[in-house]
Amino acid sequence: MDNRESTASSSTLRDRLSRFILLGLQLFLLLVTIRQFQIESSAFVRIIVLAFGGFAVHYFLPLSLKLPFFALLSVVGIGLIFGPVQAAWLIGLGCMLITICHLPFSMRARVGLLLCATALLALLRVGWLPAPWSPAIWPILGAMFMFRLMIYVYDQAHENEPFSWPRAFSYFFMLPNVCFPMYPVVDYKAFRRNYFDAEEHASYQQAIVWMTRGVVHLILYRLVYYYLTVAPTEIANSGDLLQFIVSNFLLYLRISGQFHLIIGLLRLFGFNLPETHHLYYLSSSFTDFWRRINIYWKDFMMKLFYYPVYFKLRAKGDLRAIVLSTLFVFFMTWVLHAYQWFWLRGTVLLSGPDALFWGILALFVVGNSLYEMKHGRERSVGKYRFQFVPFLRRALNTTGMFLLICVLWSLWSSETVEEWLALWETANKITVKTVGLLLAIVLVLSLGAEYSVYRDKQSKLKRPPATLFNRATVGNVVFLAALALAGIQEVYLHLGPQAATFVNTLRSGRLSRLDVAMMEKGYYENLNRVERFNSQLWELYMNRPSTWLDVAGTGLDRFTGDFLHRELVPSFVAMSSHGPVRTNRWGMRDQDYEAKPAPNTYRIALLGASSVMGWGVRDNETFEALVEERLNQNNVGKPYQRYEILNMAVPGYQPVQQLLVVEKAYSFAPNAVLYVATGREASRSASYLAEVTAKNIAVPFAPLREIIAKAAVPPKTAEAIGTRRLMPFRHEILTWTYRYIVDECRERGIVPLFLFLPQVEQGDWVEETPEILRIARAAGFVVADLSDVYQGHEINTLRIADWDNHPNANGHRLVAERLYTILKEHKDQRVAALFSKSTR
Amino acid sequence: MAETQAIVKGLKDYILKEFLPGEDPEELTEATPLISGGILDSLATLKLVAFVEDRYKIKLQAHEVDIEHLDSIARIGKLVESKLG
Repeated sequence: MDNRESTASSSTLRDRLSRFILLGLQLFLLLVTIRQFQIESSAFVRIIVLAFGGFAVHYFLPLSLKLPFFALLSVVGIGLIFGPVQAAWLIGLGCMLITICHLPFSMRARVGLLLCATALLALLRVGWLPAPWSPAIWPILGAMFMFRLMIYVYDQAHENEPFSWPRAFSYFFMLPNVCFPMYPVVDYKAFRRNYFDAEEHASYQQAIVWMTRGVVHLILYRLVYYYLTVAPTEIANSGDLLQFIVSNFLLYLRISGQFHLIIGLLRLFGFNLPETHHLYYLSSSFTDFWRRINIYWKDFMMKLFYYPVYFKLRAKGDLRAIVLSTLFVFFMTWVLHAYQWFWLRGTVLLSGPDALFWGILALFVVGNSLYEMKHGRERSVGKYRFQFVPFLRRALNTTGMFLLICVLWSLWSSETVEEWLALWETANKITVKTVGLLLAIVLVLSLGAEYSVYRDKQSKLKRPPATLFNRATVGNVVFLAALALAGIQEVYLHLGPQAATFVNTLRSGRLSRLDVAMMEKGYYENLNRVERFNSQLWELYMNRPSTWLDVAGTGLDRFTGDFLHRELVPSFVAMSSHGPVRTNRWGMRDQDYEAKPAPNTYRIALLGASSVMGWGVRDNETFEALVEERLNQNNVGKPYQRYEILNMAVPGYQPVQQLLVVEKAYSFAPNAVLYVATGREASRSASYLAEVTAKNIAVPFAPLREIIAKAAVPPKTAEAIGTRRLMPFRHEILTWTYRYIVDECRERGIVPLFLFLPQVEQGDWVEETPEILRIARAAGFVVADLSDVYQGHEINTLRIADWDNHPNANGHRLVAERLYTILKEHKDQRVAALFSKSTR
Repeated sequence: MAETQAIVKGLKDYILKEFLPGEDPEELTEATPLISGGILDSLATLKLVAFVEDRYKIKLQAHEVDIEHLDSIARIGKLVESKLG
């Protein structure tokens, strides 16, 4: 320690200040970039400000104070994000676990106590015991302790290092962890031993380079997330399939970006940890892939499982020991992945594709290892020289491996094996896009593989100590300045409308169109897709309080077993975080009504989904209740004595389900049926038909059955395949649905009204709107378009929460005002009938 | 001292022959990173462990198979010496 301090102090103060200013400039540019591009969450921006500010102090502290200062900064970071009470809970729980590790008992007893504490925490995590702290701290507590505690105990068992609270705090509560539930498994030994073990400025510079790389990965991730991802149902040929599997794998950039940011930030405080990922898209074999992707995980598995098992088994033969320990590592990877899922989500992961993925990867890695045992593998420490034959071999290996991993990755990220198999239905349709994409992949990976060899060789060369203004540092400053500038609106607006829109998209942390569709559909949170660890939508759901009312599981709805699928339970009362939710004796979220209206009553049956039902607002705050109230206040006796709007909306209902709701509505003798559409009507109809066909539920409408037959979707067809086949018929399905409703209404003298209600959040969901409105008008609906009802208002003042785009009470008030005005001023005679005696 | 040099030479010869055939011996120094530099993967590490145990008649433990002990010829030499000593 003394030597290190004296080395540090040997730099002249002026030199140190110059270096500090250069580092500070880069950190400032990095901060501007992170802020302008809204990298990760707003919590992360706060932590980065704290970390960079802390670095300014840490830099000038003597070595002996640096570690306690980092520990303090980490604790402050937790307080900053969670607030004092929750931070105290998290740190208190952590201290309990750390204390157990150091009790004066045998290692066996301490491990036993740790297992008991873990079991208790698990009971609290699943909610079997009430926890006095916020559920929000679980994923972070899990991320801090679930793996690091294992390494810590392992190292305790094999080393006699004196205990130090600052070190233990720094290790478990390390600074950026509070923002990242997905965190690299940092090795305790490396964390301890590599602390300030190299020239500090070289480490700081490396830290900045890695953080810059992390930001670049995260921006590239957005490019993929917004522009390249396609839904399984959109795959029409092998080109689309290739785009799907490649973009799916490229989404991993999010994790590698986060990990670069995390490890870079730790290096800034002297923890000279190794690289977490190494050009993993350029792997040339399965073993190479295992070595390059998530290197910390590989090292963790080798340390705790591979070597101990190998050493136990090697007396019975090397080959056997290697094969069994490798298989054991992959088995444990699968088990620990489920364990990680449990701490992050509080549920158990049982996914066929997950098990299959790890099983297949294990077999490939074992096969590859055996091959390498026999034939060896290419290694070199010499200088780089281009050679054509090795280049060609590397290019082929890398491309082949990339495509194979993409295929495996698509399996891993599928919800079911059936869903994955459904992807390949159109694989035989070769298109120009297929050839173009393949050529692009071969070209990029061939050059990339060669660059990888060049870079690896360069990194092994001995270099003189870096001067203050060396080429690499200046290059990084220029790159960061360009990136920071590109993220400033006043700058990118000068790049032309297209480029500006593109940059603007990359700057925002919104959901992609596919995730928005998932959110609309409302079933995302129940999916068992492992890729959800990597999803922005999942992060939104993770922030949701546990008291948030969830349709499924509260008893509010029930299965019907037919085409309707589910309905609201009559006479139901539940308290949600937004107030009471009540249903009347007919299963409507509304006040009670008689089956037949009283004389001189104008009755409207309202059809729709969750926004119409009033998800997230009180019973009397729905736009339906507000309009009804206003009609009765302002128009009684002009000419009707009473106006009634029957809210027959049910969360999650799709357009074709309304065919049965409207039949139910007739029994209440309405004067008008008000059908509320909220976007993507056509594709949602096709998806629902695919869903019921997959479940072998009878479709009670002959014309719809004919369309299903025409699309070649027999019963029990996998939903993804069914959706893909029915999608070309979506407009036909919607046209028939709307016409049927209008015709049936007309036959009964009921006025068919159609209201288009936009979603609170702007997005790609509007793509179908013009066509929906055209089909509705052509079908004979009296159309009222409320597309612009939320315009000019701040989105957060109109929706319930970040993770829930339903309109809040403000949103409903806006809708009610517009709807009332439209009804009042509509020129169509059939609408005017509300305010003048109907001829019916 | 002579013993240390002999250990280092023995290790270097083995690594060159087994993992870096055809490479210029000058490129492999006592400080060349073996594990972090990608020369020793898990299989190669186990091969090297077997060689070290066999050659110097010592036993390594699972927890010693890591960067701290095996990342360079110098570190391996130190480990061997500590076991012999």
